[in-house]
Amino acid sequence: MATQQDLEAFSTQVTCPDDFDDFWSGTLEMLSGISLKSVITAEPIRSNDDVHVFHVTFLSLGGLEISAWYSLPTKGDGPFPAIVNFPGYKSEPPVRRDWGKKGVAVLSVAVRGKLMSSSEFNPGYPGLLTAGLESKENYGYRGVISDCVRAVDFLHSRPEIDPERIYACGSSQGGGLTLITAALRPEIKGGVAGYPFLCCYPEAMTMFQSYPYDELACYARAYPGDEEQTLETLRYFDAVNFAPRIKCPMVVGIALDDEVCPPETSYAAYDALTAHKELWLFPNSGHGNAHDYPGQERAWLENQIGLTVVGS
Amino acid sequence: MSISADRFWRENEAVLAEVMPQLQVQRDDFYSQPDWDVYQLHYTSADGIWLFSWLSVPKGDGPFPVIVRMPDYGSVHDIVYTSLRDRAVVMNPTYRGQRRSDHSIQAKYPGLLTEGIGDPGSYVMRRVFVDVLRAVDVIYEQNLAQIGKMAVIGAGLGGSLALAVAARRGVVDAVAANTPMALGNPLAFEPGLAYPLAELNDYLRMYPDQRDAAAQSTADLDPLNMASQIIAPVLLSVGINDNGSCPLAFGEELASLIHQCDLRVYHGASEGGGHEHAQIQMSWLSDKLGLG
Repeated sequence: MATQQDLEAFSTQVTCPDDFDDFWSGTLEMLSGISLKSVITAEPIRSNDDVHVFHVTFLSLGGLEISAWYSLPTKGDGPFPAIVNFPGYKSEPPVRRDWGKKGVAVLSVAVRGKLMSSSEFNPGYPGLLTAGLESKENYGYRGVISDCVRAVDFLHSRPEIDPERIYACGSSQGGGLTLITAALRPEIKGGVAGYPFLCCYPEAMTMFQSYPYDELACYARAYPGDEEQTLETLRYFDAVNFAPRIKCPMVVGIALDDEVCPPETSYAAYDALTAHKELWLFPNSGHGNAHDYPGQERAWLENQIGLTVVGS
Repeated sequence: MSISADRFWRENEAVLAEVMPQLQVQRDDFYSQPDWDVYQLHYTSADGIWLFSWLSVPKGDGPFPVIVRMPDYGSVHDIVYTSLRDRAVVMNPTYRGQRRSDHSIQAKYPGLLTEGIGDPGSYVMRRVFVDVLRAVDVIYEQNLAQIGKMAVIGAGLGGSLALAVAARRGVVDAVAANTPMALGNPLAFEPGLAYPLAELNDYLRMYPDQRDAAAQSTADLDPLNMASQIIAPVLLSVGINDNGSCPLAFGEELASLIHQCDLRVYHGASEGGGHEHAQIQMSWLSDKLGLG
């Protein structure tokens, strides 16, 4: 099991490219030129006394249609605070009905490649992490991250949502995307990043032989001459490089026995945060299975949203 | 076991015995490692649907013990990852509708759990159970490695699939099931549960007149129906806060019906024992498979 001292002693070799901000501002500019064209369709089978559930689509980078589950409280007229829930690497986005009673809307995003958003981009799992690695312009995660940005834009476009109370959360890949999206969209007012993936690729791909990071190691073995270019591409998609650009409060949760996302690499993202931040360490816990994490995440978000006081 | 469940299994096993799996094996050069080879297996289920499995085979001479890790409820089943893969053959089979086994049916999540539930003949989850029984049979069709002892493991739906396979195949030497899904048990239809079981109550809320038909379609899959037929030792983990896969009362009743069951109860939810139990399971499996 890693210790906090191990995490603090870790130093990543990841550096930020000089044109990092230009690359992402250029990407956001491309996005701004694409109409959102959102479509909202009721899902009565998933709706209940607490929430109306909708299937949502909107357009993202490259004109791809992205889907999401949208849960709105049945009681009250809004505007409602909202949480955008980013998905894990291989899991499908869940229908979140657990916030409806609290009067909170949730958008659960199926980024490109997920079943609901796979008609034009579908590298599979394994596969996504190495799709388009040849260049930063074509790397699959440029689109995935854009989809997360557009999810925030969707919420911001909705009259029933309070634009001053949009929050983000997710675990594993969802944790990494929480950090990255919060850096690109200041409309996010706070976030919880659990067991964050997408951090410190050069180290993460060699520390364990577990997937998804091992996809990168397999890629390096298959294309030994491309390692320099691969690592260059990944610098533009490393949460460590996004972290200093986040302006809102952020929590990073780390399981000290995580064998999927090495704790040191997640800590490096936490360490790079310059805004208000909290660190939750979970000893004797592995990837995604710290028993106390879900409760802490909920309590922190409730506090940020203004529903309760933590510890009360 | 009920007469209906017994008939369901016998009929499908008879078809599996008659219809060859048409196994195709392809080495995956990209994901193979210095200490083990990775293969992609394609084969057909009882009704001719093409299925996919990942298979890893250690370098060296066998026979090797085999671990079959059943898929959970979700669109993706992992490429093989376990620290035992350099000493054991490991198979990760998918079922129909999952990625790589989605030529004929594309599963929806949520949605698959009630697909065709209005009639036992069309209910997809009954076919899912047959799909994984076929996967275990395919292990004996391949000639990549000699096979020794067999363990079947899984979490959530994968836990139930592991128990079902152990009940129907005497070759299984050990079972590790985490929070096995209570699909088929009447409590799975109750309101107030979390996903994935909540899909069943969603369906009944929408189609209340289908209650009896849905109960009939699922009943043969109830792990409680099969528990007494499991001869192999079972390591079972449950979480006291789990209300989406294996509610505590169900898990305890299940354990009481299995001949050799080591039940571990944790203060978690559907993750069961989480990391702590993963360590216990690894040691338990090593012991049962003679991996030292």
